[in-house]
Amino acid sequence: MKRIGLIVNPVAGMGGSVGLKGTDGNMYKKALEMNAKPITPERTKEFLSYIKNIENITFFTAPGRMGEDYLREINISFKVVGSISENVSAEDTKKIAEEMVKKIDLLIFVGGDGTARDIYDAVGLKKPVVAVPSGVKMFSSVFAVSPRAAAEGTDLKEEEVLDIDEDAFRNNKLSATLYGYLNVPYIKRLLQSGKEASRTDKHTMEDKEGIARHIIEEMDDEILYLFGPGTTTKAITDKLNLSKTLLGVDAVFKRKLVGKDLNEEGILKLLKKYNKVRIVITPIGGNGFIFGRGNKQFTFDVIRRIGKENIIVIGTESKLRNLNCLRVDTGSLEVDKTLQGYIKVVTGYREEMMIEVRC
Amino acid sequence: MLKKYIKLNMNEMPYPPPIGIINSAKKGLSNLNRYTSQKSLEMLKNMLSDYSKAPKEHIILSSGSDLLIREMIHLFSKRRKTIVVDPTFFPITQAAKQFAPNTMKIRLSEPSFDLPISYLVDELNEQSLVVIDSPNNPTGNILLKGIEDIVETGAYLLIDEAYYEFSGIGFAEFVKDHPNLAVTRTMDKAFSLAGARIGYLIAGKTFLNDFLGFDTFLPLPGVYAAIEALKNIDYVKKNVNKIIDERKRVQKEVTKMGIGVYPSNTNFLLIKTGVPDAARELKKAGVLVFDLSNQLSSEFIRVSIGTKDENNFFLLSLEKIINQNSFK
Repeated sequence: MKRIGLIVNPVAGMGGSVGLKGTDGNMYKKALEMNAKPITPERTKEFLSYIKNIENITFFTAPGRMGEDYLREINISFKVVGSISENVSAEDTKKIAEEMVKKIDLLIFVGGDGTARDIYDAVGLKKPVVAVPSGVKMFSSVFAVSPRAAAEGTDLKEEEVLDIDEDAFRNNKLSATLYGYLNVPYIKRLLQSGKEASRTDKHTMEDKEGIARHIIEEMDDEILYLFGPGTTTKAITDKLNLSKTLLGVDAVFKRKLVGKDLNEEGILKLLKKYNKVRIVITPIGGNGFIFGRGNKQFTFDVIRRIGKENIIVIGTESKLRNLNCLRVDTGSLEVDKTLQGYIKVVTGYREEMMIEVRC
Repeated sequence: MLKKYIKLNMNEMPYPPPIGIINSAKKGLSNLNRYTSQKSLEMLKNMLSDYSKAPKEHIILSSGSDLLIREMIHLFSKRRKTIVVDPTFFPITQAAKQFAPNTMKIRLSEPSFDLPISYLVDELNEQSLVVIDSPNNPTGNILLKGIEDIVETGAYLLIDEAYYEFSGIGFAEFVKDHPNLAVTRTMDKAFSLAGARIGYLIAGKTFLNDFLGFDTFLPLPGVYAAIEALKNIDYVKKNVNKIIDERKRVQKEVTKMGIGVYPSNTNFLLIKTGVPDAARELKKAGVLVFDLSNQLSSEFIRVSIGTKDENNFFLLSLEKIINQNSFK
């Protein structure tokens, strides 16, 4: 019998659709005030549904919504470890993980970069870890590419844990720090790579300028453009003399800013107002995600309404060079499947690359 | 003192041509004060026509096939969308960057590196020039198993078949039926004539006028060597078979090291070493391999199949850098 620990961070990822870039610290309360919905239940259930031979596993889990509730639903045997406070926090994650670590062969956690950091503090390299992506940022390479991918785990390998300074992230700066290493089962094809820093060399800057020129030349005054996060999308708005949020979603119509740092609700409102809408996004360097990491404001509902044909992907060749494919993990397998296949990426002025999207 | 390297970075044939071919080149050298005669050029074209089963009038000679690729892109990309694969033979990328006003690359992805033909064909709704190397360099796989889907759209299709003799799959004989098809080949690789630089284009009618007079100034020693080589190509078949056997052996040994090595239809292998800056590390160990950091990532290398001793030295060096890396 394999002994597996399960810890779910019930608040992870809630900030994404409301545009909060994370739920670390007090941001959880803010997310609640903004009517953010929990996303970990679905991600946890999806993950559990893909585990093979679940009957051969003895689960050790955190109480209530930190794990117990999900295992109870699928009617399998499990043991509850420790207790948690009413308003769960990072301390609960650490405390449970510490208590659990001696009893298990493998630890599964559902959360984001912040959760990965807490797990690292408690577990370090003592036990292997499977990370089910359910946060807002998830730039660490410890995460599997999807809950389904996370369900396939066997051999061991150390993978780095990155964490983003959320305060800097909210203030329009992206700063990733190598926090430590966790042991993860060796399922390389199913693990994402960590985020790569934005390049600022001469060629890359020229390519970004070329991309901006290309997109601006193709822009149609009848269409609303939703620009996703990143320095590549920002190069376009910079060229239009618009002040874009680096890490948020901004809306442009007739070359004017009509929405800034939009959350899902804000985007849906604009979709009602404008008939023709296009998303302009860039993959995350290093792991290739175009949806599902760092731009959770584009929920699967938003993407479904806008449609694949209205998604413009942009990215420099230097960024694409290290990517075998692009990835999506919108939270809806059905939407992910509609995005599968080859998509064109604008890589420069009148230059495109067709690249495969996998989920 | 200059360091001596094992040279496995240019996909050259490690075996020199037979002595008769070298003597023919020498004969050309003794006439270096003369231009190559039209008669010699016509003879070479006739022989290449027989060899490739394509009409002589469709053959254009040049110093290396990369020049012909460059010229094709220069001449025919102007009012067209140029579609190339990525990664590809570097001169293709370079010429597209330099001359083509509107380009689209199609990314070949691991693990198969296959070309998504249906997506390519969907892109041919406007005037296009498609340039594909098959087998692909550096992945080594065959990208085109048929051409109808592409040429029937009216798109111009240029296939670089530099490794035709290793793959056995080529489309040269179809140029007479498809005016919008062209194929480049070379005697650099399988014929052991890299130093002679004999490349040739087998072009459909659409392209021929633009190449009038293009082959006039090929150097005499190279032309004599090529003619002699085509008179008896048994050595080519023998060497190609030797290389293929060695390639299989090297592939098997690399697989045992637990790293990625991809099926090949050429005289080289694409290897995913898992070692950052692998080409640089191998150079330190005394082996030159082709660095793919500009096309894939720095853990990828393309290694030519050399002699048995060269390959053994490469395998030892590769194992060494992999072991060193695992302790980092």
